[in-house]
Amino acid sequence: MNVGFIGLGLMGRPMALHLEKAGHTLHLWARRPESLTPFAAVNAKTYATPAQVAANAEVVIVMVADAPDVEKVCLGADGLAAGGKAGLIVVDMSTINPNAARTIGQRLAEKGSEFVDAPVSGGEMGAINAALTIMVGGKAAAFEKVKPLLEKMGKSVTLIGDSGAGQVAKACNQILTGVGVLAVAEAFNFAAKSGVDPAKVREALLGGFAYSKILENHGQRMLARNFKPGFKAWMHQKDLRIIMEEAHRMGLMLPSAAATAQVFNAIVGSGMGENDSITALQLLEKMSTPET
Amino acid sequence: MNIGFIGLGTMGAPMAGHLLQAGHALHVWSRRAASADSLLAQGATWCASPAVVAAASEIVCTNVTASADVEGLAALLLEGLAPGAIHVDFSTIAPSAARRTAALYAMRGIEFVDAPVSGGGNGAQNATLAIMWGGKSALAPRLEPLFAVLGKTVVRVGEVGAGQVAKACNQMVMVAAIEACAEAARLAKGAGVDFAKVRTAMLGGSAGSRVLDVFGGRMATRDFAAGVEARLHHKDYALLMDEATRIGAPLPVSAAVWQQLNALMAKGWGRQDTSSLFSVLEVLEGVAGGLAGG
Repeated sequence: MNVGFIGLGLMGRPMALHLEKAGHTLHLWARRPESLTPFAAVNAKTYATPAQVAANAEVVIVMVADAPDVEKVCLGADGLAAGGKAGLIVVDMSTINPNAARTIGQRLAEKGSEFVDAPVSGGEMGAINAALTIMVGGKAAAFEKVKPLLEKMGKSVTLIGDSGAGQVAKACNQILTGVGVLAVAEAFNFAAKSGVDPAKVREALLGGFAYSKILENHGQRMLARNFKPGFKAWMHQKDLRIIMEEAHRMGLMLPSAAATAQVFNAIVGSGMGENDSITALQLLEKMSTPET
Repeated sequence: MNIGFIGLGTMGAPMAGHLLQAGHALHVWSRRAASADSLLAQGATWCASPAVVAAASEIVCTNVTASADVEGLAALLLEGLAPGAIHVDFSTIAPSAARRTAALYAMRGIEFVDAPVSGGGNGAQNATLAIMWGGKSALAPRLEPLFAVLGKTVVRVGEVGAGQVAKACNQMVMVAAIEACAEAARLAKGAGVDFAKVRTAMLGGSAGSRVLDVFGGRMATRDFAAGVEARLHHKDYALLMDEATRIGAPLPVSAAVWQQLNALMAKGWGRQDTSSLFSVLEVLEGVAGGLAGG
């Protein structure tokens, strides 16, 4: 199949390469031309605009940072809508506001393109190992067409509901992971301040009801004091902003997500945003150590 | 071995049963005598008081509710325990109460071990509890064969009190995860998205957890029967927030979760499952007119 791919960063690059390896022809555009370098040796064509990518593809995958980027790629001058043939399917795998996804989907539909939101969980390692969890919102017919592509990038691909539902599921996912990281950080700092070894605590908790992948993996990296990303704290801050925007729009009370969002504000404000999310532990430690 | 057991509730009764089936001589006393009936039928011995239990046992186990219950029992057990005997407390209490009890016993050469558990009623029945214990490492050879009969993960966390610190950590991580599930379910519902599908999608990814599986499942099917009675988690939060205040550990998420547990208790749902935290978030649905009208 002729597949367009826009957004060849840490996540997008390995995802696109999985599709190429599966025999698809890639059609690429990148804001920064150096992002195209890893594709020089594979079956990929490069273009000057997203519109040209759309003109040559049946499906275009978008994997960028935030809603304004998705909107620009899809609907801006020389965007996908300007070049796409009737029936083009745009699959947005970025994490953006669910309401923004619905709006972009409607505007693309007016121009004859289908839009599917398909955000992912699993991080860079998940992308490299084609082991992502992919949560999809859109029409069932469009989902069936793109599912074989998504299955080359992820190990769990679920149609959640209509347009925007994939982003709602991703928002739920980020509540669980954000609150989860904070809860583990609070527990480890509490243990250390009580004079108890957090490593022993983690070992004991893994067998009980507190078991989670966050406790297992993020907890291990906290103990190793390996704060390299992984998943950057500023990106988690962005995802929590989306969640709190949606909560605000709908008038929902999300107390633990709100407390978590405040901590991530403090992390980014303290200049720790490029660290992994688990840097939350360092913030709590800073807050509970006397000034010298 | 002669083992005493006091506190034969949802957790304690099946745990005592496992010890009996493993071939130990079990000596029991209970405030409500009826709660010992099934164990007596299986061959346990009834004792007239905690002191009688203590006098008959090399190791006395307790599994009660609050710090005051444990300290009250310790004062009575002290009358009967011989030097070298061990009191193993499976209750979830304040680390400081565990340390105080150990200090009280130390003067008579009696050992105290805090060994709180995680895994709920099912874990107790299936002997799959996680047991996190604090106490002298020299006691491990005597205790670990007993713990192995009751649980599948047994970790000596540190000196006395360390087990309770680990249990506090367990409750922070577990109940925050339940609250996060409730908030995710509420967000999905508000957006008109089926949380059951969201849960299924998330289980395989980095948000996967036992809480999402078990408590998230209860929220998806709206089954709020306990499970784990929310009032017990509420009690544990009072302990851990008190301890955090004492040692100066900032717990922003736990503090927010604590307030939701307070609201749950105020609604009268303390004997329901803690997945009722989802219902707490639903309380304000559709009452805008009612609230505004006073």
